Amino acid sequence: MKKRVKLTFPQQLIKEPVIFQMAKQYNIMPNIRRARVTETVGEMILELEGEEADLEKGVRWLKEKGIEVEMAEGDIVE
Amino acid sequence: MGHVTGLKCRECGRLYAVEPIYVCEFCFGPLEVAYDYKGIAGAISRETIEKRGKNLWRYRELLPVDGDPRAGLDSGFTPLVRAGNLAKVLGVEELYIKDDTVVHPTLSFKDRVVSIALTKAMEFGFDTVACASTGNLAHSVSAHGAKAGFKRFIFIPATLEASKIIASLVYEPNLVVVDGNYDDVNRLCSEIANRYRWAFVNINIRPFYAEGSKTIGYEVVEQLGWRAPDNVVVPCASGSLLTKVWKSFREFRDIGIISELRTKVYAAQAAGCAPIATAIKQGTDVIRPVKPNTIAKSLAIGNPADGFYASQVVRETGGYAEDVTDQEIIDAMKLLARTEGIFAETAGGVTLAAAKKMIESGKIRRDESTVICITGNGLKTQESLQGHTLSPHYIKPSLASFEEALKNINRG
Repeated sequence: MKKRVKLTFPQQLIKEPVIFQMAKQYNIMPNIRRARVTETVGEMILELEGEEADLEKGVRWLKEKGIEVEMAEGDIVE
Repeated sequence: MGHVTGLKCRECGRLYAVEPIYVCEFCFGPLEVAYDYKGIAGAISRETIEKRGKNLWRYRELLPVDGDPRAGLDSGFTPLVRAGNLAKVLGVEELYIKDDTVVHPTLSFKDRVVSIALTKAMEFGFDTVACASTGNLAHSVSAHGAKAGFKRFIFIPATLEASKIIASLVYEPNLVVVDGNYDDVNRLCSEIANRYRWAFVNINIRPFYAEGSKTIGYEVVEQLGWRAPDNVVVPCASGSLLTKVWKSFREFRDIGIISELRTKVYAAQAAGCAPIATAIKQGTDVIRPVKPNTIAKSLAIGNPADGFYASQVVRETGGYAEDVTDQEIIDAMKLLARTEGIFAETAGGVTLAAAKKMIESGKIRRDESTVICITGNGLKTQESLQGHTLSPHYIKPSLASFEEALKNINRG
């Protein structure tokens, strides 16, 4: 299964290899498509591929670390 | 007719054919309609526009359809009201309200975007249209879709109040209430759009749908006597409307309809959902998602798809952004009704309140022309004013009782 997500990193996590850690821990293959990093915040658009349960766990782990995880295409409900 | 050359990724510039797709396969950036402006410049002029019917299709060369309009034939061309009373209160010289409280048929600017989306959906050969919405978009897709003869699916979260959905149900769409919150509906609709061959107006038809917002900008320019205003204040939910209003001005300049463009574009958001205004005020270009908490439900998009582009437009044009509290929203709705006789929905309160703040802080100059975009009708969100309006005068059915009340009224 594939999932397109947008991650927003708080300043204190920009230097941590969280994507690598998530990939290894939950057997997820990340494919970074776009990224933007400023002094205070980082933003990354990527595709995550793996088993559905693993993806769920991986996303939950990212959120617990303090990373905001949203749909890459933005909110759909208008 | 038909001057569309294809779809283009806003991030990496990759080109795609005209299809019901919305995201770049490579960088996941949003796709936007690309036009042959040289061809358009030769096909359209002030005179040709002025000769046409007073609806949004008078700018059809600049809209992404190939054939004749098939929906929204009476939508658009709403009044641009010279707001003299309000201008006096705010202490500005030249103020206008672009009044989309009266768009046909469902009284919000969504009738514009849906007109384009459904015409395009028909050109693509879809028989079913869909959307995820908590309000104005649901009404518009339900109504326009009924007239155009589409099967319709409207998705809403179960948390939405019953009173809000009557205005959709009356058109008899398939209204699907999802047992989950706003985020669940977002995710589900994205999955449904991938599986079924339906025209989801704000998902796979989004590049075409969004272009409909440009018609507000074209109308403003035409109604000002073919000039762009010094300032325009636009409410932001996804940020799309703001980018399209600016795009409309730029296009008119690029094809020679106007020769000058110095408009500054200002963004308005509710304090309870201000990811775009926050980024602009902090001077960063990263939009941090928020969990919305505001009475301005029609602007409550926490993860705005076009937030970055909206903030870029504001920055490029020398505008600014402001966010306002729920109380400021209510006060502004009342101010607009009291001074100009226009009853706007909460989003209109946001836009006026933000404009007022920016006038008071000097971000918007008092000696320049300013247009405030009011995008929806207040009759739809009356409950937001519960307990905030004047009370009626209760009397017995007798002249004496009336004169007693009149005495109190005159005493103030």
